[in-house]
Formats: sequence, structure tokens, C-alpha cells
Amino acid sequence: MEVPSATLPPIMDIDATAFSDPILAGKEADLASWLSARAPVAIGFSGGVDSAYLAVAARLALGPDRVLAIIGRSPSYPEAQWAAAREVARSFDVPVLELDTAELDDPRYAANPSNRCYFCKTELWSRVVPVARERGFGTVADGTNADDLSDWRPGAQAGREHGVASPLAELGFTKQHIRDASKRLELPTWQQPSSPCLSSRLPYGIEVTPARLKQIERAESALRALGIAGDLRVRYHEDLARVELAADELPRWLEPRRFDALRDALVATGFERVSLDLRGFRSGSLNVLHGVGA
Amino acid sequence: MTQPDRGDRTTRNATALAAAIARLGVQCSLEVRGGLALLLPVTSSVEALQAPDTRRAVLALAREHGFTHVAIELPSDRRGAGRETDAPLLRD
Repeated sequence: MEVPSATLPPIMDIDATAFSDPILAGKEADLASWLSARAPVAIGFSGGVDSAYLAVAARLALGPDRVLAIIGRSPSYPEAQWAAAREVARSFDVPVLELDTAELDDPRYAANPSNRCYFCKTELWSRVVPVARERGFGTVADGTNADDLSDWRPGAQAGREHGVASPLAELGFTKQHIRDASKRLELPTWQQPSSPCLSSRLPYGIEVTPARLKQIERAESALRALGIAGDLRVRYHEDLARVELAADELPRWLEPRRFDALRDALVATGFERVSLDLRGFRSGSLNVLHGVGA
Repeated sequence: MTQPDRGDRTTRNATALAAAIARLGVQCSLEVRGGLALLLPVTSSVEALQAPDTRRAVLALAREHGFTHVAIELPSDRRGAGRETDAPLLRD
């Protein structure tokens, strides 16, 4: 039966959540309950898709006095991401605390073993958790999501050892759930590519140094400046850069003139040779190269 | 020729891979870096690699021959430009 338009409610009275995915809406409600039951909550905050969503969801659920987003800064954390994290916090009124971390001073981390992330997260949480507790935040959480549980994530062990909770994973939020929920909240990160630390561009066994991290950061910034969008990694193979692009970006950069521009940009950052990966971007690419898996 | 390397779990056959890629019409030299096969195509073969079907075929061949990654290098001096090889050149 067709309803006369005059009988429909005014559009502004319609609950926007009525149009959202009911499964996602349920997860969002579960997350709000989880946070409320454990408040106040401090969050390890990188400004990536996951932790940005968690921080904003916590701010909305708990108010400004019962949430604290804590950023750990180090040479493995890209400047651009730091700026993005601060902008998210400013826009959504999330209180932020910044701490310096020194994972590169740990020779076990710098040697770049396949469980490198364990030493990084050990350093991060050993600084973040005591500071959070001193400030009265009994719960410390991170942005680990349900998809991460099936990936090689040695850093997760460090989180568990420090009592860090992972509510998004616990409640079954996949990356797509987080992107969808972030879009609904108008978070600028909703379609941001995943952004692991810069050390993930170095093959295991190649020492992590500030100079190499800076070179990688400059290289990826240079490619962004050329207009490359979406997922992007500059994998470091000493003299050779191996560039992984999103599948829809790859064909046009194989065109020789564009490839020249790409190569010139990376040679200017210190690489002698430049290559394009024919498969394109894949998360954990260097794990595959080394046969490392969950 | 096989190319064992640190952390190898597979046997890689670079010679057979290079020959198989050449049969696709992609003339290139091949440098082996562990599980990475680095292709250095002659200029006239770069266009072929712009075709998704050709890239997929190269990737499938690389997997068959024990490689996990394939990348293409196009040096600034257009290494190989005008040097149409009859047989793949291997480097390591």
C-alpha cells in the first residue's frame, strides 16, 4: 500500500541508526557497554583506522574525562600519521597524551627478528600502562581487531603480558566493521589505508636504524606527492626499493613515463634501484617472503 | 639452475622461470633475490606487462617455480633498450 507522503514523519525525526547495518549497530552498542563497564579507559592511539575509531567511540561513550588516548612516538612512527592522529583527536575532542618510546635502543628490536613487534610493543606498553595507571585509568586498550587474530602478530603477546585489552577483537569487529562504523561517525580515517610502523618495510634480519626508517618515510611521502593513493609500501631491499601499490594503481605506474617519475622520486631518497611489485600491495608481504606465518 | 638462499623452504628454478616468461613474449633478464624474482625487461616488453592477463601469467609462473614475489625494474638507462635477446639472461 502506498502511503501518502504527508503521513511520513519529517526526515529529521528518523533515527539514523535505523538505516545502519543491524549487526554493526549491535556491535557498536556492545562496545559502548564494554567501555562503560571498564571506564575510565586509556587507549594506545596511533591514529590508524582501528585505534582512531576506538578512541572516538570511547570519547562518545564515556565523555572527555574518562578517556585518554596515548600516543607513543618514535622514529618508526611516521610524522604524517602523528599529525593525522592529533587531528582526529582535536576534531573529536579526545584528550591526548604523548610519550616517547625507544624501541630502537633495544638491540633485540634493532636486529629485526621475525618477532620484532614483540619488543616494540613491550617497550610501548611498559611506558604507557604505568602512566595510565598513575592517572587513574585502570583499563588500557588497543585497537587490535578480529582480523588481526589470524595474522602473524607477535606484538599481541606483549599486550597480553601488560594486561592490555583488545575490545574490538573481543567483540568481533573486523576491519570492515571498523571502516563502516568510522564512516558513520564521519571519521577521516574510515577509508585510510592500513598503516603499520615503518619497520615493517624492512626484511627480517636487516637492522632497523633511524636512517633507514627516515629513508623509507621520505620515499613513501615522495610517492604520495606524485599522487599515488590507496595502499602503498616501499619495501627496503638495501640498494633496491620494491614498491607495492594498490591493484587499481599498478597498471598506470607501469607506463614507462610514469615509472620514470616514480623511479626518479625514489632515487632522490637514496635508493640506487627501483622496482614495482607485479602483484601489488599485500599486507604482511615480507612475512610471505620469509615464510613467516601465524 | 636452483637458487637456494637464507631461510629457503622451497626449491627455486630461475632458469626455467626465465624461459617460461620468455615464452609469454616478455624478454627480460632475471635477478634472483631469495624468494623475489626481479625482472629487467627490454623496453619493448614493458608494454606487455601492462596487460593484467600477462601479469597474472607471470605471477602464476613465478609461483610454480618457487618464487613468492615478482617485481619489475626499469632502470633509467633503459637497460636492455634495443637489445632484443633471444634467450633470457640470468643474474644473481
